[in-house]
Formats: sequence, C-alpha cells, structure tokens
Amino acid sequence: MSAVRDMLCDTARAVFAEAACEGLAPVEAAGFGLLLVPENEDGLGGDWGDLNAVLRLAGTLVPDLGVEELMLSGLPEASEAHRAAATVGLMAGAMGQALTLSIEHVNTRQQFGRPLGKFQAVQQSLAAMACEVAAVDAAAAAMAARLDATAFGAAASGFEIAAAKLRANRAAGVVTAVAHQVHGAIGFTREYELHRVTIPLMRWRSAHGNDAYWAGLLGRRVADMGARGLWESMTARAG
Amino acid sequence: MQGFTLFDFDPPGDTIALRADLRAWLSEHQPQGDVVRRANCWASFDPDFSTALGKAGYIGMTLPERYGGGGRHPLERYVVIEELLAAGAPVGAHWIADRQTGPLILRYGSEEQRELYLPGIARGELYACIGLSEPGAGSDLAAVRTSARETADGWRVNGQKIWTTGAHFSHVILALVRTEEGSERNAGLSQLLIDLDTPGITIRPIVDMAGNHDFNEIFFDDVLVPHSALVGERGQGWRQVTAELALERSGPERYLSSHALFAALIDAAGPDPDPALATLIGELTAEMWTLRQLSMSTAAKLAAGEDPMVEASMVKELGNAFEQDMPRRVQAIVDCGWDDESDLARLLRALLIASPSFSLRGGTREVIRGIIARGLGLR
Ligand SMILES: Cc1cc2nc3c(=O)[nH]c(=O)nc-3n(C[C@H](O)[C@H](O)[C@H](O)COP(=O)(O)OP(=O)(O)OC[C@H]3O[C@@H](n4cnc5c(N)ncnc54)[C@H](O)[C@@H]3O)c2cc1C
Repeated sequence: MSAVRDMLCDTARAVFAEAACEGLAPVEAAGFGLLLVPENEDGLGGDWGDLNAVLRLAGTLVPDLGVEELMLSGLPEASEAHRAAATVGLMAGAMGQALTLSIEHVNTRQQFGRPLGKFQAVQQSLAAMACEVAAVDAAAAAMAARLDATAFGAAASGFEIAAAKLRANRAAGVVTAVAHQVHGAIGFTREYELHRVTIPLMRWRSAHGNDAYWAGLLGRRVADMGARGLWESMTARAG
Repeated sequence: MQGFTLFDFDPPGDTIALRADLRAWLSEHQPQGDVVRRANCWASFDPDFSTALGKAGYIGMTLPERYGGGGRHPLERYVVIEELLAAGAPVGAHWIADRQTGPLILRYGSEEQRELYLPGIARGELYACIGLSEPGAGSDLAAVRTSARETADGWRVNGQKIWTTGAHFSHVILALVRTEEGSERNAGLSQLLIDLDTPGITIRPIVDMAGNHDFNEIFFDDVLVPHSALVGERGQGWRQVTAELALERSGPERYLSSHALFAALIDAAGPDPDPALATLIGELTAEMWTLRQLSMSTAAKLAAGEDPMVEASMVKELGNAFEQDMPRRVQAIVDCGWDDESDLARLLRALLIASPSFSLRGGTREVIRGIIARGLGLR
C-alpha cells in the first residue's frame, strides 16, 4: 500500500472508532464524502483502491453505519453497479473480521483440555474459510484496479464488478456458516460481537444484485463472447 | 495470523506482444488431435511438441542464457504457461523439468549439474520426474525410507518410489532419500538427481482408473550413483523440497486443468443460453477470474523473492475445488448421455474420471488445509 493510502486508513480507523458511538457525523466531518472528488474540485482525489481500503475498514469496524452512500456521493452519477462495487469492499472487511474473531475464539476457548483450534476438524474449516476471505480480497482489489483504469466507468468495469460481487456473495455463505459454527453458542448471542459482521454479510449478499442476478448477467455476457473471447478479454484487462 | 498478501502482477517488457506471438505460434504448431487431450493437458505427453516449444524459446525461459535458457522474468514465464494451459497444449513431457527441476538445479545444484542438465531442459528434450512418494510415505512425506549410503565409489541407493508421474519417459528423477543412517523424520534427508538408465533401476507402470499410463513405481536395487548426484546440501533435503513445493503448488495449472471443458461448455451454450446454463457459466467465470488474480499475485510474490507457502496453498485449495467441482456442476445441468460422442460429452466424461486426482496430486486437500491452518496460527 502507498504511504498516502496508509495515512488515509489510519485516519479512517480513528474516525470509525468515534463513529461507532456517534454515528455518521464524524465520518462526514472528516471529509470522507469527498474521497472520490477530484482535487481540482476541492475533493481528496482518491481512487477506487483508496475507497476500497476505507470500505474494508468500515466493513470491519462499522458495518451498519451506511458509510458507503456517503462515500459514493462524491461520484457525479453513482449507479447500482457502483453500489455493488462498494459493497464488495465492505464484505471483504466484514469477512476478514469474522475470520479474525473466529481465530481468536478457537485459540482461547478450551474443550477436551485444549484450545478448539488444536482440533483438526476446526483447523480444516477455518482454512477453507480463510481461502474464501482471500478470494474476496483479491476480487475486490482487481475490481478496484479496473475501476481506476476506466475512470470509475461502471459499464467499462461491468465484467469485474459482476465477477467480484458474485464471488463475494458466494463467499458470504461459507464465511458466515463457518464463523458461527466454530463459535458455538456464544456467537449466537446478542452480546458477543460476531453478529455485528455476520448479519450485515447476510444482508449484503442480496443487496445490489444477488447471486442469480450477477451470475445470469455475467453468464450471458460470456456466452456472447465465446470461450476464446472470454480468455482474450480476461487477459487483455490485467497482466 | 498470516493471511493472503496481494502482490502486483507486473511483468517487464511487452506482455501483449508476448501473448500475441505465442498465440500465433500455437495456431501453427499446436497438434489438432483429439479434443480430450486438451483436458488436464499438463498430463499430455508429446515430445515433438515439447521440442518445437523449446526451439521457439518457451521452455526454460527463466534459466540464464549461459545454460541455454531465455534469461526472462518469472512473470513472463507465467504469461506463457497460462496461455499454453488455456489453449490445452500438450505440455506434459517437459512440464516438471521446466516448472521445478530446472529452477531447483539452478538454485541448489553444482556448476557441473547446471551445465549437464539445464541446456537439455531448456531445449524441451530432457525430462524429469519427482521422486517423493513411497508406499509408506504419502501425506506423511517425512516417513521416506529409500536410503542412500555414501561409499568410496558414490551413493548406493536402495528402496522404492511410487506414483512417479512420467518416470517411464523421463531421463532423470530428483529423489528424496535418507542419506544419514539412523536419522528420523525430516532430518537426514537429501536430494539426489539420478539418471534413470542407471543399472539396478526398475520402472513398472501403474495404470490409472482412466486407463492411462501416467504414473509408475520405481525400484532401486543397490543402484550406484556418482557422488556428484547430490543436489544442494547433504541433510538439507527437507528444506529444499519445501521450497520446490511452493513452485509446484502455485501455478495456473492448479485451476486450469478443466479449462477445456469450460471452453466447450461456453461454446456449446451459444450466444443465448437458457437461464440455468447462463447462471453456471457466470458462476464459473467469477470463480476463474478470481483464481487468476490469486494465482498471479502468488506468482508475483514468488518472483519478488518471498516465500508464498500459504498463498500457494490457498491457490491450490481453491483452484483444485474449482477444477474438480466443475465437471460435476456441468453434469448436473447439461443433458448429455455418458456415451455421447460430442466434444462436450467426451470432455465431461474424461474430466469426471480424472478429477478425483486433482485434490490428491501435489499434496492432498487435507494436507494443504493443514498448511493454511498453520499460517493462521492454529498449529
Ligand atoms: C495423479 C497423481 C500423480 C502423482 N504424481 C506424483 C509424482 O510425480 N511424484 C510423487 O512423489 N508423488 C506423486 N503423487 C503422489 C501424491 O503426492 C500422493 O498421492 C499424496 O501425497 C497423498 O499420499 P497417498 O496417496 O499415500 O494418500 P494418504 O497419505 O494415504 O492419504 C489418504 C487420505 O487420508 C488423508 N490423510 C492422510 N493423513 C492425514 C492426516 N494427518 N490428517 C488428515 N487427513 C489425512 C489424506 O488427505 C487423503 O485424503 C501423485 C498422485 C496422483 C494422484
């Protein structure tokens, strides 16, 4: 990550910590609504990679706040596809948090005289979950790179947005299921914080296009390209 | 916790031209035989193709020019191999030598070994196989028992390897052997590069469930190999093998084995597929696109000189699940009989039968997940 993005993330962390008690006001006051506004229009001139990094933190720390609407307000015309793209960033963050909580929990909770994390069945589920989290992070990063290469063009980035939102949707199922399973009953309580990320994940899966929506769209698009066309277009876009 | 670190995939030079040249070369040189040979194509053995590919400069690309290599960047090689795999080219003969034996000899081998083996590897004419598994050492690789004792004349090797892919056409085997008497587990192991025509070596075919002869068992009966066969440091075999496995696990072959089926599915669907088919194509596209990002990032990390053991394992885990589930998912919605003769049906049949091996070869799913769990701090 660049130094500028690191600083942005440090600020976001501090602001989101305040926002967790006070609501959206500190986020607005800190100018996050201007993130995508160009510098010559008095904005922060951030790119989608920056937005993604901040949304990832929002998904980790303040998943219920709705910061995405505020942050997208910097775009002249935010479309449903842009909202889907922003949701991928939030989902990546929330999934990362679900994984972190799960690892902490299985390393501390003891049963049968040892931490749960020492049991192979638990290790294998968490490994599978970690792969899903990694996949969503990679999808979000590649989608962000495409949006940046196309001046945030939702149509020009349509393939990547569809693929990334669909991949995130599918990961959400695995991640919420494994996180709750390894937590046992404590994860099912109002008091414990796991639901703060898993309920938003359930909600985001159907927001701005569920699996069927994006899969149908992407599938028809690929069928129209043909197999060779798909490979050529995929390799022309990155690498 | 060690998660997945994303690295930028940024090969030097003109990647667009590299792809275009290779595609043009393939359109002229790729054998037009049976479409089924395009499935799982890194197990398709075709020495003529390998020689031609080597001549064109697409093998040993990252080896230095003084050993006959191309002196290219590892990410340029990545571009080339993903193109070859997506095209279903029969790269099986030279695959292992190009992917891991060559780089390993370059890194750990003596000058004599480099001069002896690398030029042939880069020409696409010298083939290698991987001698790790034994009857008593599968997932538990540290249980290796094949022994090599140092004598005045060289190493005396006794024991057995099994599941050795390509041993019947390979020239050399890179074998993990126990050089220190009385040593246990992962201590006292070394790697020997053994010419397969050395007296005392017997190679027997093992026919797989598809009816193919790809893997073998190899018996070493008091085989005398020169002192110079030792690769790298005596007793450091475990460390070297671990490094080799990162090369073995992270490449695009870990998610592209079923690509020929996906291509046939898309083309059979035509421009206006029914909703179920469109959905499946969409899902598979999203997964493949994501896997490609993960795989490229891992390759970039490896190229930057860092150890991507956990990332490589994640690519293998997700990639194997993708290429293994794909034939089942296609079968579930495409209406074609087991014995149909269409390309799609024949590819489907071949990959349904081949796919159980995808999460076994190169380390089983359970072993791979164990490595990931260790990266997460659970072991
Ligand atoms: C097509 C193919 C090509 C191959 N090519 C080569 C080659 O070229 N060179 C070579 O050296 N080897 C090769 N192999 C061998 C491969 O590396 C082994 O099959 C693999 O390491 C597993 O060993 P195994 O078959 O003895 O299974 P086992 O180790 O007996 O495992 C059987 C099952 O038990 C599970 N299991 C084992 N131990 C544990 C544990 N501790 N916890 C949880 N589950 C466990 C495994 O995951 C697996 O599901 C090849 C295999 C295949 C299928």
